[in-house]
Amino acid sequence: MIPVMEYENVLVDLDGPVGVVTLNRPRVLNALSPVLVGELNDALGRLDADPEVRAAVLTGGPRVFAAGADIGDMSERSPVEQLQRDQTGRWGPVAAFTKPLIAAVNGYALGGGCELALMCDLIVAGDSARFGQPEINLGIIPGAGGTQRWPRTVGKYVAMEVNLGGAPITAQRAYQLGLVNKVVPAEVTIEVARGIAHQLAAKAPVALRLAKESVNRALETSLQEGLAVERKNFYFLFATEDQKEGMRAFLEKRKAQFAGR
Amino acid sequence: MAEAKTAVEVVRYTVENGVAWIRLNRPETMNAVNGALRRALADSVKQADRDEAVKVVVVTGEGRAFCAGADVREFQSREGALEGIQQDYEFLLSRLWSMAKPTIAAMNGVAAGIGASLALVCDLRYAVPQASFVEAFVKIGLTVDGGATWLLPRLLGSAKALELFYTGDPLNAAEAERLGVVNRVVEPERLEPTVRELAERLAAGPSHALGAIKRSVGYAMNATLEESMEFEFHLQGVQMRRVDFKEGVAAFLEKRQPRFQGGGSGPPA
Repeated sequence: MIPVMEYENVLVDLDGPVGVVTLNRPRVLNALSPVLVGELNDALGRLDADPEVRAAVLTGGPRVFAAGADIGDMSERSPVEQLQRDQTGRWGPVAAFTKPLIAAVNGYALGGGCELALMCDLIVAGDSARFGQPEINLGIIPGAGGTQRWPRTVGKYVAMEVNLGGAPITAQRAYQLGLVNKVVPAEVTIEVARGIAHQLAAKAPVALRLAKESVNRALETSLQEGLAVERKNFYFLFATEDQKEGMRAFLEKRKAQFAGR
Repeated sequence: MAEAKTAVEVVRYTVENGVAWIRLNRPETMNAVNGALRRALADSVKQADRDEAVKVVVVTGEGRAFCAGADVREFQSREGALEGIQQDYEFLLSRLWSMAKPTIAAMNGVAAGIGASLALVCDLRYAVPQASFVEAFVKIGLTVDGGATWLLPRLLGSAKALELFYTGDPLNAAEAERLGVVNRVVEPERLEPTVRELAERLAAGPSHALGAIKRSVGYAMNATLEESMEFEFHLQGVQMRRVDFKEGVAAFLEKRQPRFQGGGSGPPA
C-alpha cells in the first residue's frame, strides 16, 4: 500500500479498499486554488495507481463541497497568464481516474466546484446541497467543463438555464434532473458515499473499469462505435480470472471473491 | 411625517424557555404587512432558525388580528415592487417551512392573504373562535399568492381550497378545525397559555428528533415511498448515535421520564 499522503489542502484517508479525498480549505469554502488542484490531482493519481484501492470518494466535508475558484487570485490576470497557468486544463487526472469516483456533496458546489462534482461517476448530495455555475455573474463562463458536462447530463435547456442564468439549483431538483444519484440528510452524505464505494469495491475491478470507460464513451461517440467499444470490452472480460470466479460463484450460489485479474 | 416604527418594533421578538415568540406588532393596521414588517419578519425567522437556544418558534399577532395581509397602502405601488416582495415572501415562508424546528401559529384573529400563508406555513395552528382564514385576492381582481395555492390544497384538498380561492369567502375557525387546518380552537384567554404549554413541552423534547421528523415530512412531500423510507432510515441512523436516544432508552427501561438535552438541529457531536 502507498504511504500516507501529506498535503496542505487535501486530506486523504484510506478506508480498506476505499480512498476518501477531502478538500480541506474550509475557511475559504474550499476555493480551488492551483495548489489544491495540484494536490488533488496528485492524490487521485496515487489512488488510481494503487491496486489495493478499488473506489474513491471525493468530498468537501460536512459544510461545503467547493464554492469555485480563487477569484482574488484570478481577477487581474491577462489571457496569456491564464493560458500559461491553464488552471482549468489541469483537471485531467480527475476526469481520467479509472476507478469509481463518488462525489459526496454538502452545501455549495459552485463554478469549478460544480464542474469537479460533474467529473465524478456518481453524486450523493446532502439535502442542503446546491449546484450551479455562477461564472456568468463575473463576466466569464465555466472553464472546466460546465458548458459541456451539464448538457450531456441534463440536456440543453437546463444547461442553458444554469450556465446563462447563474443561479444554483437545489439537491432535490438536481436529483429530479438526473444529476444526482441520491439526496440524503446532510449528516450522512459522506457515510452514504463511502457505503456505495465499498459496495463497488467488492465488484470485479477490471469489469468496473471497462464499464466506466464504456459509459463515458457513450457521451463521446456514435451509437455504432459505442456499441463496438462495449462489445470488445465485453469479450475482453472473458479473459479475466474474475469472470471465471464470478460465473462460478453464481452457479455455486456463493458470493464471488474478485482478485482484480 | 409620522415616525415609522422601526424594524425592531414592528415585530416583537422574545425567547423564553427555548421558544422564540415572533409577535407581529402593527395592531393599529391589524398587522398589515408593509416593507418594514416583511423585513422584520424575515430577520426574526432567520434569527430563530440560527439560534441554537431556540427549539420551537411561535408566530402570533398583537391586537385583534393575526395578520390582515399585505398593507393596502402599499398596493398601489405594488406592481413595480412585485419582484422584491416575492423574494421577501419566498425567503420568509420557505425558511419557516424548511427550518428543522417545530413552528406554531397562535391565531389570535383573522389571517388574510399573506397573513393566512404565514399561519398555513407553520407546522401547527391554534386559533381563537373569532379567527378565520381569508383568501380574498379575487375580490380585488388578483390571483392567489404567498404560497397559498401550494399550502392550502395540501391541508384540506383542492376542491375546498379552490372554493375558498374562487369565492374569497372566509374559512372560520370552527370549520377550519373540522377540516384539520387548525389543530384546536381555544378561547381567547386560553390561546397563549395553551400554545405556551405545548411549545415549551416540545422545546423540552429531543429537539434533534423533532427536527428530523420535520425534515422527513418535508422531503416526503416531493418523493416516493421508497425514497422517503431511505431518507427516514438515514436520519434514524443519525438519531441512534445521539445522547438523547441513549437517555430515552435508559429512561424507558428505568421507567422514568427522560431528560433530553436537545441541542440544535445540526449533526451529532
